[in-house]
Amino acid sequence: MIELDDFSYAYPTGSRPALRSLRLAVPAGQLCGVVGPSGAGKSTFAHALAGFIPHALGGETAGRVVVGGRTVADTPLPDLVRDVGLVLQNPFNQISGVKFTVREELAFGLENLGVPQEEMVRRVDAVLAELRIEGLADRSPYQLSGGQQQLVALGSVLVMRPSVLVLDEPTSQLDPVGSGQVFDAVRALHRAGVTIVLVEHKLERLAEIADRVLVLRHGEVALDGPPATVLADPRLADWGVAGTRYTAAARLARERGLWPEDRDLPVTLDAAVAGFRAVTGGVESR
Amino acid sequence: MTVGFYQHRESSVHRLNPLTKLTLAVAVVIAAFAVPLTWWPAALFLVVLVPAVLAARVPARFAALTVKFVGPLLVAVFLVQGLFFPGEGAELARLGPISVKAEGLAFAAQTATRLLVLIGAFLFLLLTTHPGVLMNAMVQRGLPPNISYVVSATLQIVPAFRERAQHILRAQQARGMATGGGLRRRIGVLLPLIGPLALGALTEVEERAVAMEARAFGATGRRTSLMPVPDTTAQRLARWGLAAFAAATIVANALGVFA
Ligand SMILES: Nc1ncnc2c1ncn2[C@@H]1O[C@H](COP(=O)(O)OP(=O)(O)OP(=O)(O)O)[C@@H](O)[C@H]1O
Ligand SMILES: [Mg+2]
Repeated sequence: MIELDDFSYAYPTGSRPALRSLRLAVPAGQLCGVVGPSGAGKSTFAHALAGFIPHALGGETAGRVVVGGRTVADTPLPDLVRDVGLVLQNPFNQISGVKFTVREELAFGLENLGVPQEEMVRRVDAVLAELRIEGLADRSPYQLSGGQQQLVALGSVLVMRPSVLVLDEPTSQLDPVGSGQVFDAVRALHRAGVTIVLVEHKLERLAEIADRVLVLRHGEVALDGPPATVLADPRLADWGVAGTRYTAAARLARERGLWPEDRDLPVTLDAAVAGFRAVTGGVESR
Repeated sequence: MTVGFYQHRESSVHRLNPLTKLTLAVAVVIAAFAVPLTWWPAALFLVVLVPAVLAARVPARFAALTVKFVGPLLVAVFLVQGLFFPGEGAELARLGPISVKAEGLAFAAQTATRLLVLIGAFLFLLLTTHPGVLMNAMVQRGLPPNISYVVSATLQIVPAFRERAQHILRAQQARGMATGGGLRRRIGVLLPLIGPLALGALTEVEERAVAMEARAFGATGRRTSLMPVPDTTAQRLARWGLAAFAAATIVANALGVFA
């Protein structure tokens, strides 16, 4: 579904390329997590998939990005957005400013595409319910908290029903409840067959839903594989990425001989529980 | 939140199509300026605008804003036109070089009441019409979306940016930066804030522009609307009637009816 063919990119003002010779493919329906330290190029990667690069941000590119069989650089943005939705890291920038209520804000893209009114109402109501933000429907998008704005920005992309969804830290300003709502929505979209690229710092959550995780570092893919392997990699810490708390706990336990040497470090709660159960021989305190 | 001047009320005036109210405002203003009878603008104000404002249940706010905006103009007009009216005419009073003439006062009264109608008419429109609905109605009538964007964004994004500037300022204060003191000192303190704010705004403008495009803002096909603004045949007729009325005052004046 997504293919990067030796893709490189440098910002017009950047001294070093932000993305270097990326070569990877994301098959249709995959949920691909992206992690990496600050400045690794995660947002740049997201912008490149959605066509913001090269269509709007200048700079130099080499190689190609192909999404849904179309070369991004050769496809006009308005055509591309029917297939690829991008939720920006900063929700403030995604809010149109044209609309005075959240409900209308959500419908903005659909209005521009000329979607019939009844269909719009249906889709907007569905997204309001899915993200559990019905209570915000008549509020002004500018009178919301950062987290609420993130939900609205996500909603404004979801109503477009893209087949590829790129999310750049969609829960960075949300509390655990709000994050949970976003992850529930992402899980549902994944089940519905949407191809998803999710940049996310909350590795515990990512480990539970991702099919695959990429680690970006200095604009390059440093690691690529299933979450259980990638997120437990000991090098993550050296690169400035804090692993999951389950991995950290098990690593500590291993130093004290409380984790089987032959057992991989866990990245999910379930794996951690199973591991500790194995060490304690299934004895549980009551 | 309060957007512009809008005052929310349950009233039949609020429910009117914004274009009807806009047409009324423009027609009344044209009529006020086209007809050179001294009493005419005041009559328009009393017979058209005051009842409309009462029906919209916003008289207090209307009165307060009218006084605020028209008051200073009124004083200026009477001072300039009333006291220094250049034309010939009977002198009512004299104070050194200043002579008060009846014609001057009459002209001042007319100018002042015309301004009253001008400001009153648009206050009526803005007090009873949510800018979002006004823009919706106008875009549905073929106003280019870019223009609607400029108006709406000015009303919303600019205050949001201002709020952010205040956040940064408060953050600096919290970090012990003194923001009080003399002007020189204050400028020195504020200067370092301008950089991040302006730079942030610039890269953001770029991203905002793409985000708009990503939501098909640049699409050229037919647009639809989530909330079509209701219109009625009666209102459509009323708008034509108002337009005809405004045109008639201009024609009548040109034909010398009021001479
Ligand atoms: N608009 C821009 N102009 C010039 N350089 C930029 C721009 N945006 C990002 N960069 C640079 O490109 C590199 C990658 O930035 P990017 O925003 O993609 O990182 P990131 O992984 O998303 O970081 P974070 O976790 O902080 O969001 C960084 O070195 C950054 O300084
Ligand atoms: Mg980023």
